[in-house]
Amino acid sequence: MKRKIISILLAASMVASLGLTGCGNSSSTKTSDTTQSTDKTDTTKDTTAATDGDKVTINWAIWDKDSSTYWTKLKEGFEEENPNITVELTDLGATDYNTVLATQLSGSGSTFDVVSIKDTACYSTLIEKNALEPLNDYITTEGIDLSQYNGITDQIKANDVLYELPFRNDTWVVYYNKDLFDAAGIDYPTNDMTFAEYDKLARSLSSNEFGKQVYGAHYHTWRSTIQLFGALDGTDILGGNYDFLKPYYETVLSEQADGVCQDYATLSTASLHYSNAFSQGNVAMLNIGSWFISTLITKLNAGEYDSSLCGNWGIVQYPHPEGVEAGTTIGTVTGIAVTSASEKKDAAWKFVQFASSEEGAKIVAETGSMPAIVTSEISAILASVPGFPLDQNSKEALTPTKVYMDIPYSKHSAEIDAVLSTYHKDIMNGDISVDDGIAKMNEDVQKVLAQ
Amino acid sequence: MKSLKNKSKALRILLYAVLFLMTAIMIVPFLWMLSSSIKVDKEVFDIVNFQWIPDTPKWSNYIEIWTKIPFARFVGNTVYLTIVVTLLQLFTSSFAAYSFAKLDFKYKNILFFAYIATIAMPWQVYMVPQFIMMRSFGLNNKLMAMIFLQAFSVFGVFMMRQFYLSIPDSLCEAARIDGMTEYGIWWKVMIPLSKPSLATLTIFTFVNTWNDYLGPLIYLQSNEKKTIQLGLKMFIGQYSSEYGLIMAGSVLSLIPVLAVFMCLQKYFVAGVASSGIKG
Amino acid sequence: MENATKCIDVEKEKMISRKKRERKKNVVAYSFITPNFIGFAVFTLVPILFAFLLAFMEWDGSNQPTWAGTSNFQSVFSDSLFWKSIEHTIIYCIGTVPITMLLSLLLAIVLNQKVKGRAFFRTISFFPYVGSLVAITAVWTMIFNPTKGPVNAILYYVFHVANDNLPNWFAGKLVMVSYIMFSVWKYMGYYMVIYLAGLQNVNTELYEAASLDGANIFQKFRYVTLPQLRPTTFFVVVMLTINCFKIYDIAIMLAGGGDNKLGSSATVLVYYIYQNAFQFWKLGKSSAAALALFALVLIVTMIQFKGEERFAND
Repeated sequence: MKRKIISILLAASMVASLGLTGCGNSSSTKTSDTTQSTDKTDTTKDTTAATDGDKVTINWAIWDKDSSTYWTKLKEGFEEENPNITVELTDLGATDYNTVLATQLSGSGSTFDVVSIKDTACYSTLIEKNALEPLNDYITTEGIDLSQYNGITDQIKANDVLYELPFRNDTWVVYYNKDLFDAAGIDYPTNDMTFAEYDKLARSLSSNEFGKQVYGAHYHTWRSTIQLFGALDGTDILGGNYDFLKPYYETVLSEQADGVCQDYATLSTASLHYSNAFSQGNVAMLNIGSWFISTLITKLNAGEYDSSLCGNWGIVQYPHPEGVEAGTTIGTVTGIAVTSASEKKDAAWKFVQFASSEEGAKIVAETGSMPAIVTSEISAILASVPGFPLDQNSKEALTPTKVYMDIPYSKHSAEIDAVLSTYHKDIMNGDISVDDGIAKMNEDVQKVLAQ
Repeated sequence: MKSLKNKSKALRILLYAVLFLMTAIMIVPFLWMLSSSIKVDKEVFDIVNFQWIPDTPKWSNYIEIWTKIPFARFVGNTVYLTIVVTLLQLFTSSFAAYSFAKLDFKYKNILFFAYIATIAMPWQVYMVPQFIMMRSFGLNNKLMAMIFLQAFSVFGVFMMRQFYLSIPDSLCEAARIDGMTEYGIWWKVMIPLSKPSLATLTIFTFVNTWNDYLGPLIYLQSNEKKTIQLGLKMFIGQYSSEYGLIMAGSVLSLIPVLAVFMCLQKYFVAGVASSGIKG
Repeated sequence: MENATKCIDVEKEKMISRKKRERKKNVVAYSFITPNFIGFAVFTLVPILFAFLLAFMEWDGSNQPTWAGTSNFQSVFSDSLFWKSIEHTIIYCIGTVPITMLLSLLLAIVLNQKVKGRAFFRTISFFPYVGSLVAITAVWTMIFNPTKGPVNAILYYVFHVANDNLPNWFAGKLVMVSYIMFSVWKYMGYYMVIYLAGLQNVNTELYEAASLDGANIFQKFRYVTLPQLRPTTFFVVVMLTINCFKIYDIAIMLAGGGDNKLGSSATVLVYYIYQNAFQFWKLGKSSAAALALFALVLIVTMIQFKGEERFAND
């Protein structure tokens, strides 16, 4: 008897929870989380009311509020222009941002009206989950000129639909420590450097003298720091064949064996951040995204990094394979989007529009970060940030001629990224040979693509 | 007789040797933690000129941590959660465990097995359905969500049942013959007898709730609701290089748990003086 | 209950009154369980049952789930990473369970003696369990750092291991050894506490009797302490096994290398489950893999249950 009751209860609650996930649009399941929307009556009101004087609060998911100042500045800039709309920032932290965000956007409800999107994998996940509002109609209505984004928006279109607008766009460059070049009496790197020349340069700079080691190059533990060299000729990183990575792995592994760069296992074990590596003043060249500029500037200005070790730095364009035009590099887009569960979409869209506009770009640029829109005025703002490298090479380094996305949008982005990372670690740790690792990549990615 | 004494002396020496070895292994990482908490970053990773106490200890780490993040608020939330969860857990677990250990009823084994089986499911698997359900109850971003999640743990029931099993049935029988109700037996016989296990459960629940990270991460987003571990982790995210501060925070977060342990460990003493193996 | 109808009337009446008593007994017993069970059923059991169903569905956490039959299992079982992760998890369990159990028992027995500074020693051995994983793993990875760590420094300077042969503790085959070492160290104190509590219930009168029979200390341990610790040991072994199969955090923090990703030589089952759930949002596939884990744990636990019963009947 008892068992029957229990099983009935269970079945009932199962149905209930299934129902919750099933009926996406039923408002009854949207139990709003009162703590975050200060004015509860707003949620039930027609969103158009927002424009006629009613106060609206929108909730924006971000990461690392305290270390990146542009979040708060964007909020303030927007609120000044739109006194009726209050933007609340919810900091989900950088480490688990994608996990928490996607969980929060699961099911049918959501606390967030606007979300920042960290990478393409997260972007495609959220699109697949139908968690993002398609923006095409909004863009047409407002007459937003997409050409100002310099082609970025074409690369983040999912079947011709845009679900986010870019507000930051970082490209990959090479940072170099001028003092180390001076000490070795070697000319600074240039904006036109083939991968082979880069390797040669790194080797000529490194020194294995105990206690005074100098590393010619530094590769952070991410797969992208090595694999993306191979994508500069336009090879599709989602294509399913990774034989083209072989020369790059072989070069870096041999650099590692010769002490030109730090040992992968050591870096990985210590979880050493590339910024810490560069700030120690024994890394001559570091390939990483332009987001590192603002970190470097901030920490140097705050005295957190010893400027006698890494204060004299510059940037040049990414080394390219033979036969590829100089100035070709990789881009990483940070986007901002409206959630499909939001009940204040108009207000949310207004904010998205602001953050991705030229005005928003100026605010981002003032903090030393790279906005998605670059005009001459914005370049000037960037250059006026105290500590920004002002030499001609550095300036040019930030205006690439051709940019490929680090990982283009696809349904399979997240999974392919994971496969490539897994075997990247194996290869770099020396657990399997380059050939075996690449064979595994080919095999597993093709399995993903076949789904 | 003499050889026996020598033997026991040798045993004692062996005992202390084992103890000291184990203690050394256990404590070294913590001394390192303590030492790092008063260092600047560069000293933390300096293995070549390693010093336990730096020339100029940076005590300010312990002050800074309170100002860099709302540490006091996090501590308050965590204390509240921990106390409520522990009390609920103690009551419901020992109550249910009595039934599983000392009473006979229909479907007992099936039910018990259902309990244990759920421990085997990693939380990651049912986290999403659980989250959607909790949110539909309006519990997202509420401390209450964490209480519901942690107060009814299967672990507590299982552990208390095992301890009750080792208490002889004859004690319950005698109480029943005296006319005590089952509730009376639970309260007057079992609870006083199971002090060591209740102390154990208290410690474990306390530690678990105190150190939980993934739960608060998913359920608590606003700064007013965050717990200590979440705060520490976020802190690491933002000040990744400031190891001294991270270690200072870790040391601080350790203190309450250790205090609880020290208070409760005295219950791990048998009523009869000569317990265990006589040396 | 079919037999009851065949019985004679007297027996029948007896049956009825027994049934009544039985029912009352059941009600009392259930009343004890109810407070815990309600919370458990709503917040744990229902989502778990839902996860069970999910294994046969395709679901991304947002859109309507669709029926998928056994395709999730097929895709899990054809995945080489899945088998790798199973293999690693089993190796880890085989290494960790017995070592942790024996050491924690030993520690508990030692710390149950009247030794000087007992409270101090007990607290120290509980330290590793209490310490936040983030801080502790930071220390461990430093100590075992392949080029800068003190462990390898000792191997190099004292034992003259060649530079190229210095072990890389968190990669290749050694990573399993590191996992095992770390978790034994971390959880020894935890299980020691359980044993310590269990030891308080050991009936000491039997020791006197055993002493009179001329039993030595090891015999006393074998024939008096150990049998009485059986429920505790059972609990410890079951919990240890289950927790070992669920290894995740330790792997991520020791071998995750800052971006919390594992290579195929360091991967474990729950990492596989986590990836499918929270990176790919294939909750069905993730549940299918979890069911495999569940089945594995179930088999092992059943064996332990059976073993426990056999011992109890000895």
